[in-house]
Amino acid sequence: MLDVIRFILSAALTATGLFCLLSGVVGVYRFRYALNRVHAAALIDTVGILLMLLGVIIATGFTVASGKMLVVIAFLWLTSPVSGHLIGRMEVTINDELEKDAEVMNRAYVQHEKTVETSGSADAAEPAEAEENMEKEEKEEAHE
Amino acid sequence: MTEAYSVLYISALVIIGALLLACLVRAIRGPRIADRVIAVNMMGTLVVIAICILSFLMGEGWLTDIAMIYTMLSFLAVVLLTKVYMGIYREKRRQRELAQEKEGNGHA
Repeated sequence: MLDVIRFILSAALTATGLFCLLSGVVGVYRFRYALNRVHAAALIDTVGILLMLLGVIIATGFTVASGKMLVVIAFLWLTSPVSGHLIGRMEVTINDELEKDAEVMNRAYVQHEKTVETSGSADAAEPAEAEENMEKEEKEEAHE
Repeated sequence: MTEAYSVLYISALVIIGALLLACLVRAIRGPRIADRVIAVNMMGTLVVIAICILSFLMGEGWLTDIAMIYTMLSFLAVVLLTKVYMGIYREKRRQRELAQEKEGNGHA
């Protein structure tokens, strides 16, 4: 009897999880723009994996393997918001025609993301070089 | 009871396989780089679910270790890809601005 209840619980969780996975993939196909698609993809990373792995954990019982599955859920719940944020930030940074695709609330932030200096050593060398070239050109013009 | 579990989870695996194919198509077609990164991230999650189900079906506990490592690797892949593409864009933009400055000085 207890086994039957466990199976029914596990099957219900798996079915709900499969529905969540399916709606996530359908959402990724139906949305038109990448920033909307992040929203649908987050459904798979949070609710989908939670329900599916809870179904497997109930079916497995209390073992080391099910504890590791809980660790997987915890890790994914911690990292999924971070990866979603990074993907959105990349899209905002590299899209030159962002205003066509989405409504921009804070233009100053977008401009800051596009122009912020990334690393030190290479950046420091090049502007000096450019200035030297400019000086050379000016001298040549004056000579002529 | 074991048969019922295997029927349930093998059908779940079949559906997950179909969803993986759909994600792969989105990763190939996706017009922007962000679409591809999103699709790859989704595929990583689906593969983790499939590995956990396999670990239950085959009765092999060590497969969950692989699932943990796969989760971490898929997160690392997203972080690296986004950082690399942002760096490339900023580098190109700076070089373009430098070239424009030079042109402006040449005309003056």
